[in-house]
Amino acid sequence: MESNGHVLMATTGLPGSHTLAVYRKHGGYEALAIALSKTPDEIIDTVKRSGLRGRGGAGFPTGTKWGFVPKSNDKPKYLCVNADESEPGAFKDRLLLAKDPHQVIEGTLIGAFAIGARRAYIYIRGEFAHEASIVQAAIDEARAAGLVGKNILKSGFECEVVIYLGAGAYICGEETALIESIEGQRGEPRLKPPFPAVVGLFGCPTVVNNVETLACVPHIMKRGWEWFAGIGPERNTGPKLYGLSGHVNRPGVYEAPMGISLRTLIDEYGGGVPGGRPVKGVIPGGASCPVLRGDEIDISMDFDSLTRAGSLFGTGTPVVMDDTTCMVRAAWITARFFAHESCGQCTPCREGCGWMQRILWKIETGRGEERDLDILLSVTDQIEGNTICALGDAAAWPTRGFAKKFRDEFLQHIREKRCPLGGGSLH
Amino acid sequence: MAVVKLQVDGREVVVEKGTNLIEAGKKVGVFVPSFCYHPGLPVVGVCRICLCEIEGRPKLVAGCATPVEEGMKVITQSANVREARKAVMEFLLIHHPLDCPMCDKGGECTLQDYTMMMGPAHTRFTFEKQTWPEEDVGGKLILNKNRCILCLRCVNLCKTVAGQDEIAVLSRGEETYIGTVAGRKIENEMAGNIADICPVGALTSKDFRFRSRPWELKPVGSVCTLCSKGCNTKVWYHPRRNEVVRITARENMDVNQWWICDRGRGAFWGIHDPNRLLQPTRRQGDATAPTTWGQAIPAIAESLRAIVERHGPSAVGVVASGELTNEECYLARSIFRDGLGLANVDVVERPQPPVVYPKFTIEGDRNPNTRGARAIGLAPGPRGLGVADMIRAAAEGSIHALVFLRGGPLEQFGDPQAVARALGRLELLVVMDPMPSPVSGRAHWVLPGVSFAEREGTYTNSQGRVQRAPRVFTLRGDTREDWRILQDLGRSLGVWMHVDAGPQQIFQRLAAANPAFAGLDYTVLGDLGAPLAAASADVAVG
Ligand SMILES: Cc1cc2nc3c(=O)[nH]c(=O)nc-3n(C[C@H](O)[C@H](O)[C@H](O)COP(=O)(O)O)c2cc1C
Ligand code: SF4
Ligand code: FES
Repeated sequence: MESNGHVLMATTGLPGSHTLAVYRKHGGYEALAIALSKTPDEIIDTVKRSGLRGRGGAGFPTGTKWGFVPKSNDKPKYLCVNADESEPGAFKDRLLLAKDPHQVIEGTLIGAFAIGARRAYIYIRGEFAHEASIVQAAIDEARAAGLVGKNILKSGFECEVVIYLGAGAYICGEETALIESIEGQRGEPRLKPPFPAVVGLFGCPTVVNNVETLACVPHIMKRGWEWFAGIGPERNTGPKLYGLSGHVNRPGVYEAPMGISLRTLIDEYGGGVPGGRPVKGVIPGGASCPVLRGDEIDISMDFDSLTRAGSLFGTGTPVVMDDTTCMVRAAWITARFFAHESCGQCTPCREGCGWMQRILWKIETGRGEERDLDILLSVTDQIEGNTICALGDAAAWPTRGFAKKFRDEFLQHIREKRCPLGGGSLH
Repeated sequence: MAVVKLQVDGREVVVEKGTNLIEAGKKVGVFVPSFCYHPGLPVVGVCRICLCEIEGRPKLVAGCATPVEEGMKVITQSANVREARKAVMEFLLIHHPLDCPMCDKGGECTLQDYTMMMGPAHTRFTFEKQTWPEEDVGGKLILNKNRCILCLRCVNLCKTVAGQDEIAVLSRGEETYIGTVAGRKIENEMAGNIADICPVGALTSKDFRFRSRPWELKPVGSVCTLCSKGCNTKVWYHPRRNEVVRITARENMDVNQWWICDRGRGAFWGIHDPNRLLQPTRRQGDATAPTTWGQAIPAIAESLRAIVERHGPSAVGVVASGELTNEECYLARSIFRDGLGLANVDVVERPQPPVVYPKFTIEGDRNPNTRGARAIGLAPGPRGLGVADMIRAAAEGSIHALVFLRGGPLEQFGDPQAVARALGRLELLVVMDPMPSPVSGRAHWVLPGVSFAEREGTYTNSQGRVQRAPRVFTLRGDTREDWRILQDLGRSLGVWMHVDAGPQQIFQRLAAANPAFAGLDYTVLGDLGAPLAAASADVAVG
């Protein structure tokens, strides 16, 4: 399976990679058979030991999350696959859905078996209608082959896999908003606790996992936790998909181990910056992650290293910006996104995001004053930690990151009353 | 009941498991601000003004959404908490129009109060504010979205109490707004409560808008008299104008929780109905003329006596009503049944279908005190006639005099034409009522009683709970409280010789005489009422 040294993308380049035949030819669904021969507790323990951390952004240990689901059977349990991938910069799950849906389905079935779920929902963002049709075809194929539905692989295990299409809201990627959405409600995050593992979909214990997280699971089953834990730095293990975009010669999704250097990713995988221009800044893991300066990119791409550096690993999808990029404008675009996507239920996020966006636009268009920068930073403080869900934080962090890391550039906008990089108009 | 012990700002407090931090704080006098939290609605935790610190936890928590835990140490006064609250206040005000001087909520607005208490004095928001036009959303409510803080109380009230989704949250982000869906209007009869619980001036009552400032008013705890539920209310009296300008809900967990229906909320219009009867009148032939109490009462007493003497007590009937207070019922019973020995005494009942909402029922009996009237024995005595038979007897000529203690439409007694003919045959028709009606229009004597707000009294609701409604004010005019009219008549008839100062004393007599009311007095009733003696199955004495 590892012909090109890849795990998650081992077959994604092959013709027909999305079909059951190609998937099976390369060992597909063998992991499911292995899993079904074990007890759920054994599987959870294996995943725990592998060190797998959620690829949806928060990096929560997957085995631990599964372990939170009550063992009692008085209520049905659900597994939700989070395929809402909507953060600017992130596009790695999309590749798996389009090119290797069976890998995701197999991981989903193993996860469902481990937590005792007989029904799994794949929540796909509405814009991925094409990918959704591919996944649906894969589910149909799998059902026809006895891999989905009743008595899977004649083991007695039963699991339905159902696609639920979102309607175009980033917030529905937040796990409790995703649950509300599947229930047919407005996509608004819930108050926590209770956490979904206890009270989730339809009031029942529920696990929400990212697409890539689940895609890792079959490999752990087949090759053992030791193999997985041996890849990448301590506590940040396994193979990883990196979605590289922005000012690089070869943007795209690349597979590399956790802990690869950001510079290597940009220079070797992405082929460097066009025209050999210098890197001015990198948003390392999706729009919610604070920007790094060009001189900070000799950093290990993993959860802990980026947190230590004052940023976040997020979904591991760097956006590279060269020296022609206006950082105020980048900040404004980011803030505008979050303001647009805020669900609007809680005060600090609803009001604060719009305010940040206005201030940033004011500065970018040369109308800013120095005190606007102070107000901007204090607004980020006033949002952070005071909201229902992490979208508020996700909006505050990058704004603060841009304003602090590129303070001089902000001040230059204010002093010169214009965008020094020639931006400042709507287009 | 499991209890939990914790500390709030260093003060020890023991509360029921599941209590939230706001309620726990209340118990020891620690104030935690709140906009969206309402004890009668689901916890949504959206406004974030209630953020509190818990020792050992890195993040602030929403006090409304956090249940107490054993040994928890809650801090509501740290720098972090103050900063967070200030932040929320600032955020809520950035698009707010700050139009307190022309906003109806002024004086009873949580946002205004909190701004004075902890809000920023200046705004740092220099951008154009979002604005929205005002809108009639039905339910006698006007929506001003500029002032809305999206606490969702209105949406959740309609959803959970009334079971309706006429009003909803729409759009998202800072464009989020509250609105009716697809051109609908709010139609449920609980909607008026929204004006009570909207913490700002976003949804205000059409009936109250621009009529006065709350600080000009005197709120008086009262009881609604529009159905047998007996919701607790506040009657808001404007002393300068001598006018009741609104009625709002008053919490009583045993009766109406926090809510009242829109009929009860609108009851003050009836008090000031321009058609109110304001003077006793006497009809002779086709001529109706004003008279005085001093002429009317002795004259009525004399006529009644004369008819009883000539035709016997069965020639007289009394048609009472569940609108009378317990005291008035007791007087009526004492005077007419016990005193004059009449057996033809009854109460009109006109049940309608109840209006049932998920968390509130408007009772089918649209009178406040039918149960009290029955418990007191306002019912036919031995061989006595009920209401319908009395009318029939009047038509046949065997009843010569009828006393109506409240009138009303003729249909409630049968075929209106037949009833009119029957009433027309009477030698004596007396009606006591604050409002004119087809019955009083045919009366020889009309005695203008007063509305619930102008007289003191108690009512027994359908659950058998006795509740007090004090006198709020007196309307100009020559009206008289119903209990006074009855007492005066009783004295003139020589059958009620007590000179009681007021309903409180009459209630004492009732409680002493009637086992159902045994043990009750004003102290026991307090502000929230008390049930009839448990053992009593409301057996009428008599
Ligand atoms: C605003 C917001 C948007 C999110 N969007 C996504 C998403 O599109 N995909 C995803 O997997 N996780 C997303 N998450 C994270 C999920 O809440 C959740 O942590 C994740 O799905 C858990 O899966 P994992 O443990 O496998 O990473 C989002 C979180 C927030 C706060
Ligand atoms: S932080 Fe934003 S997105 Fe999250 S619940 Fe609050 S308003 Fe909604
Ligand atoms: S009162 Fe707690 S969030 Fe509104």
